[in-house]
Amino acid sequence: MTTTSVSPSTAEERPQIAANDRRQPRDNGELLRAVLLYGLLTIYGVFSLIPFVYAFASSFKTEAEVLHTPPTLLPLQPTLAAYQTIFSSSNNFTHYILNSFIYATVAAGLNVILASMAGYAFGRMEFWGKNALFGLTLAVMMIPGQLIMIPKFLIANSLHLTNNLAALIIPNMVAPVSVFIMTQFLKTLPRELEESAVIDGASRLRTFWQIILPLVRPAMTAVALFSFQGAWNDFIWPLLVMSSPQNYTLTVGLTFFAGVHYTEYSLLLAGAAVNIAPLVVLFFFFQRYFVRGFATAGLAGR
Amino acid sequence: MQHILPHPTSTASATLNRRGAFRRKLQTSMAAYGFLAPFLLVLVTFTLIAVIYAFYLSFFYVNFGITIPKFVGWFNYKLIWYDLTHQGTFYISLINGIWYTAGVVSIQTVLALLLAILINQKIRFKGIYRTLFYLPSLTSSVAISLIFIWLYKPNGGINYVLSLIHIKGPNWLSDPTGFLAHIFAPHNGNLPYILAGPSTALIAIILLAIWTTAPTFMLIYLAALQDIPDSLYEAARIDGANEWQLLRNITIPLLRPTTFLVVALGTIGGFQVFDQIYVMQGPGGGPINTTIVPALTIYNTAFTNGLTGLACAEAVILFVVIFALTVLQRRFIDTSIQY
Repeated sequence: MTTTSVSPSTAEERPQIAANDRRQPRDNGELLRAVLLYGLLTIYGVFSLIPFVYAFASSFKTEAEVLHTPPTLLPLQPTLAAYQTIFSSSNNFTHYILNSFIYATVAAGLNVILASMAGYAFGRMEFWGKNALFGLTLAVMMIPGQLIMIPKFLIANSLHLTNNLAALIIPNMVAPVSVFIMTQFLKTLPRELEESAVIDGASRLRTFWQIILPLVRPAMTAVALFSFQGAWNDFIWPLLVMSSPQNYTLTVGLTFFAGVHYTEYSLLLAGAAVNIAPLVVLFFFFQRYFVRGFATAGLAGR
Repeated sequence: MQHILPHPTSTASATLNRRGAFRRKLQTSMAAYGFLAPFLLVLVTFTLIAVIYAFYLSFFYVNFGITIPKFVGWFNYKLIWYDLTHQGTFYISLINGIWYTAGVVSIQTVLALLLAILINQKIRFKGIYRTLFYLPSLTSSVAISLIFIWLYKPNGGINYVLSLIHIKGPNWLSDPTGFLAHIFAPHNGNLPYILAGPSTALIAIILLAIWTTAPTFMLIYLAALQDIPDSLYEAARIDGANEWQLLRNITIPLLRPTTFLVVALGTIGGFQVFDQIYVMQGPGGGPINTTIVPALTIYNTAFTNGLTGLACAEAVILFVVIFALTVLQRRFIDTSIQY
């Protein structure tokens, strides 16, 4: 039965396949080009991936195997010992993860809401001071963080924000780059959207909430992801403002942990894996939004 | 607006209309500032006031939390001048910062462009390659530094791979010898610091930084490449241009604004490097200060030595250096596009 059903279709497809073949490597030069192209792509792909694969695999090795030369790629005797050690109650890893998670999700949520609001004003309203303020928004993206690091810390301190999750979230709850991305997206929507809504007598807030926001979900997703990534990976600010270990984020906690266990490589690798895994999962599901966000952020140069 | 007025010549209605426009603009502005309020509040408090405060504090002697600020005029700047003319820590960190930034920006810009051009070809599995390439940029600098403490150790993975092609890898993270000193003064390494070149330890961090940040700039280049109209390439191909000529005469000139952005952001980021060095070498920037960079010095001045005002002055000097370089780059890279 299979043979009868398969044979006619293959007979039909065969000429097509032949045509495709003829269309692909037209001559030796084109074949060489394809080999070179895929060769380079594969080499750089491996170059990007191998340190992660090797490190992740090694986090399941015994310390002796991690140190062994010549190295093994996959663990000979897989063990969770490194993970058990870092999650043992004397290290505050569960605190660190929870703090990082709260910081990243709340910062992402606030960036989405507040940057959409600011982007709506910049992108769709004509108001006094608009060009100056938007220019300022672009300009501050170029201010090096080191210049304001110390005064920012002093300001946070005088607002009694230090050693507290609010110290992480409040200064980072609406980043200029988030506002820029939302503005660029909101600008592209057709004018008629609001005109029809205003004629209907809808208020501005309702127009914003019910008509505009649902149309910019891709931009909101990009802003959410960028903000989550920024907060999850943030190091210097939590290092400055958090003074007691139970308030450390994962990056800061990991660094102090590494300072104590500098040569226990399996522990460092397990810690790194815990830090990296959530972002890889997020990126895997939402990568096209990341790419679109960069496409817009890159427009800042023009 | 005029055509909807019943009597365009009537001054009364024109005034009314102007008043109407004024009122409308006033209403829009009030609404707009309502929408902008949270953003402006954060921007003013944590950026604008902070910038002014940094300049202000640079004229004070302050030990944060211990002493009351005392006005000292240019004293902090004189201290920095003394440091610079006597090869102090800030001088060393500026030299290291310049080597680091020059190394990272030059190589990562070219690499990012090449990777973007590779991915922009008509290829299969484009998404998979893009994901793979982006991985180093996605992850935190702290996690990557922990992995590379291990990979860079004398008998670690990187030296193992080098040994397969019969190269004896250096002691990546603890060799303080300058790159140029290795070449020109291999026996004693006695060259003035500014001529010795980046140490092996700093080069290790430069290579790591290129690997981690090039993919971010690749995505920015990729977006710009997709905006170049295909018709330009087709027209040039009809005129008999080869691939290299297309790249030189169409792609690179049209990407100039993006290149400026990539170089400027790279420079700003390069002079601010902190995380990787703090994690891999500690706040002292070892071995023997050869990986100390301005951000670490400012951090140490403020939070280890308690000289908040001096740290602000150092930050101001760093800002001036970065600003001057960005202006120079703007001059150097012509960003106007001519189609």
